[in-house]
This record gives sequence, structure tokens and C-alpha cells, in this order.
Amino acid sequence: MKGAELNSDDLEGALKGLLDKGVVDCLVMPHRAGKAVSYMLVKDADKIESPASVIFAPSFTVNAANLIKGWTIKEKVGIVAKPCEIRAAIELIKLKQMDKESVLLITVDCAGTYTNQVYTEHYADIGDEVDSAKIKELDGKGITIRESCAICENKLAAVGDIIIAKGAGGNVTVAGLTAMGEEALSALELSLEDKDLERAAEKEKIAAEAKAKLDTLPQMGSVEALEEFLQDCIVCKNCRDMCPVCYCKECFFELPLGKPTGGDLLNLAELRGAIGLPPGQLFYHMTRVYHVSTTCVGCGACEDACPKDIPLTRFYPVITKKVQDIFEYVPGKDVEEPLPFTAYEEDELEDKLR
Amino acid sequence: MGEEIKGDFEPKIVGFTCNWCTYAAADLAGTSRKKYPPNSRIIRLMCTARLDPMFVLKALLNGADGVFFSGCHPGECHYIKGNFYGRRRIAALRTILQQFGLDDRFKSYWISASEGEKFANTMKAQSEEIKKLGPTPLRGKIL
Ligand code: SF4
Ligand code: SF4
Ligand code: FES
Repeated sequence: MKGAELNSDDLEGALKGLLDKGVVDCLVMPHRAGKAVSYMLVKDADKIESPASVIFAPSFTVNAANLIKGWTIKEKVGIVAKPCEIRAAIELIKLKQMDKESVLLITVDCAGTYTNQVYTEHYADIGDEVDSAKIKELDGKGITIRESCAICENKLAAVGDIIIAKGAGGNVTVAGLTAMGEEALSALELSLEDKDLERAAEKEKIAAEAKAKLDTLPQMGSVEALEEFLQDCIVCKNCRDMCPVCYCKECFFELPLGKPTGGDLLNLAELRGAIGLPPGQLFYHMTRVYHVSTTCVGCGACEDACPKDIPLTRFYPVITKKVQDIFEYVPGKDVEEPLPFTAYEEDELEDKLR
Repeated sequence: MGEEIKGDFEPKIVGFTCNWCTYAAADLAGTSRKKYPPNSRIIRLMCTARLDPMFVLKALLNGADGVFFSGCHPGECHYIKGNFYGRRRIAALRTILQQFGLDDRFKSYWISASEGEKFANTMKAQSEEIKKLGPTPLRGKIL
């Protein structure tokens, strides 16, 4: 791949150049508001200030892919975000919720993130970026990364059109992964040279640590455990709304069959003797976990969104990973790879029938 | 008391079958007077691909002791590849059900229109298996 090493000023120039040179019509990227970090949609390059101090900030607000989901505009949108967010965008392209040609996906390295509340509260300790050593040190002080990040195997930037990898001494390496990405970098007039950002050994280490962490999470195992897990759910469906890959225009659970009230509920209560209220906790989550079973990128946005603090990472990413494993599918890894439910092999999965 | 229930417990099973094969096999089993337990309620679908996993979830969550699906053998789908797609959905659903110990209550078969006897035997074996499992843990629950 072709790329260039940049210092923080050059990086600022490069991102501004994307707008000024018309490579993209707008950028979705993080910006700082006091100690906090959130996303902005930029048209005017002058609004981009010291991006190097914010694009790696280990704070998770929303999954950026969710912010541009379903946009059907001709303008080209550049998006600077973490690997799980870009992977979600790639799933959305495959799901035809976004046009591949109208987005320039720019992925930054991640080491793990804190919830935005934890990040803002402990900004003095956490700072603008962290590495795995720093994460361990902070963990000792009781400042812990989100569980979804602890079990994430894909923290290094490796997908999208352009990657921004952390380098030594505050420098970064930008490199193009696709023709679109390389063209964008050429338009910026950077002097490009061959770069090797495979980082296989580092990726393996990260994956091994993530797998080890996953093994320590409690397994549900029974209906009783599931019932207890979801007992506090108020079926507000915020987890659905904040999920980047839940995309139906009309959700079943907003329709009369999925959201029974009054007489319909009485009928159900008559059938079963009694039903739980609010209704449909299990049906909603069991259905949703099936719907995102091949596309869940494990970002944990659902858990962050839950007003009842249900640790949804132990449900969505953990269960969907098992489904993804049977199809040997990693969501967002390759935009050309078909979604598992749109493909088949003639001779497969017979051991799953009984 | 649990034992007592298991002894003379008649499971309620919801079945989904493809119109072109297993539904006809059930018919054939009937017309050729093959005996099988009457505890399955069969709902006809037009193809394996019509089996929305939500059908299975809804039946299980509403207290069905078992749910089964049966369609045309792979390669023999009336719509050519419906059961290839459907098989992937079934596999995903089963993987999810496994996490909650519910997969034993979900059966899936391929039974062609000429396999009336296989249909009857499958129904017999299935009924025995679900009986052994006992009533679904979901029935008594306030869900
Ligand atoms: S289900 Fe949760 S973890 Fe998975 S993609 Fe959606 S928000 Fe992210
Ligand atoms: S966000 Fe939490 S309370 Fe709301 S539906 Fe999801 S799990 Fe239930
Ligand atoms: S028509 Fe029977 S499985 Fe498709």
C-alpha cells in the first residue's frame, strides 16, 4: 500500500485538504467540546482544529456509521472513525443503506475506548490517546475500558479506503487501501511511498488478548438466565436506534403485532395466564439478535445506549460472534464479501439440522 | 410432581412445513393410514425460505414444547435455491437457541413428498424426544 508519514501539522493539513481540494464534500469526524469528544459534520476546513489530538481520543459516543446511515445524497461524505464504526459502514454498504462511491472511509487505530462519561470525568488521567500499556495502568486505578472494546479483536485500522495508523513520536502514517483511497491521497499531493501496515504480530496479540477476555465473560446458558438478564428492560428500543446495523425503515416492534396494546395484550394474558409488562422483552431481543447476527460489529453502542444499564455486550456481540463463526464471517472486513444470508454453498451446515 | 407431569405429558408442537414436499408427505402419511402422534399443529409455508425465524421464536416464547420445520431436500427446492438460503437462517437461529438451552426443542428436517413413512416416523421420534425433555421451561413463565 502507498502512504506517507505525517506530523500533527501535516495531518491537519491533509484533512483540511480533503475539503479544500474537493476530494470530499463534507467530513464526519470527532471534535472536542471542553474535555468531551463528539462528532461533527464539517463543510468549512477552518473548523478543523488540531485533529491529531482528537481523532484517537478513546471516547465512544455513538457509532459514527449510525450517523450517516440511510443518507441518499450525491455529495461525497468523508468519515474519520474507529475500526468498529468503519466496519459498520461497510456492512451498511452491503445492506444497500449507503453508496460505496459516495463515502470515503478513513479508519484510525484504536486501542480501546471508555464510555464518554468516563472519558470526560477522567480526562486528566486518560488524555488525548492511549496505548495498551496506558490502558493497563488506568485499569489499576479503576478506570476501565468498555467491555465491548476489551473483547474486540479488530482494534488496528485495517479496513476502509484510508487508514491512519499511530506512529512514533506523535507522528501518524496515512495509507490508501483502495483505489479511491489512493486517489484521495494523491490529490492531497503527499509524497507517497510504499508502506507496510500489515502489523500481523500486533494484530495476533490483540486478538489473543480479546479472546482471553471473552472467555471470562459469564455465559447465559439457560432461559432463566436470559429472563433475569432482561428483567429490567423497559423495551425503549434505544439499543436498536443506536445500533448501526439495525436499519429497517419500519421495525416489526413498532407495528401492532410487535407492539400489542389493550385488548391484544388481554388476549395474550388469557392464553398464558399472565404476561410480563412492558410486553415483549424476550421476543424483542431474541429477534433483534437474530437480525444482527451476521452484521453486529461488536461496537457496544447498544450497551452505552441502555438507560437501564443492561450489559448488552454480553448479549449482542457475544452471541452474534458464535453465529459469525459458523459462516467464518467477520462483518466489515471486506466490502466485496457477500452477506452470509445472501449466499450459500450447496453442501454445508447439515450438522445444524436435526 | 415434575415426574408426574412428565409421565402423561402430551407436548404441544408447532410445525412449519413446505407446501411442495413435507406438507404433501404429511398428506400421504394420512391417506396411507400411517399412525403418528397427533400433537403437532402444522402450518403450511410455500418454501423453506418462507420460514422467518421469528415464527419459531414466537412459538417457543408462547409456550410451544417443540417447534419443527421440514422442507424439500437440498437441491430439490421447488424454487431451486430457497432451502439453501433457508438452511443458513436455520443454522443461525439454532446457534442462538443453543445459548439458552432451547435448541433441543427446535427440530429441522428434509422430507420429500414421497416420504410419507419417513414423515410418520419422524413425528413419532420427535414426540418421544420432546416428551423426554418435558414441558418447556417457557410455558409457566411470566414473559
Ligand atoms: S448490536 Fe450492539 S454491539 Fe452489535 S453492532 Fe449493534 S450496537 Fe454495536
Ligand atoms: S436500551 Fe435497554 S431498556 Fe431499552 S430496549 Fe434496549 S435493553 Fe431494553
Ligand atoms: S419449495 Fe420446498 S424448500 Fe423451497
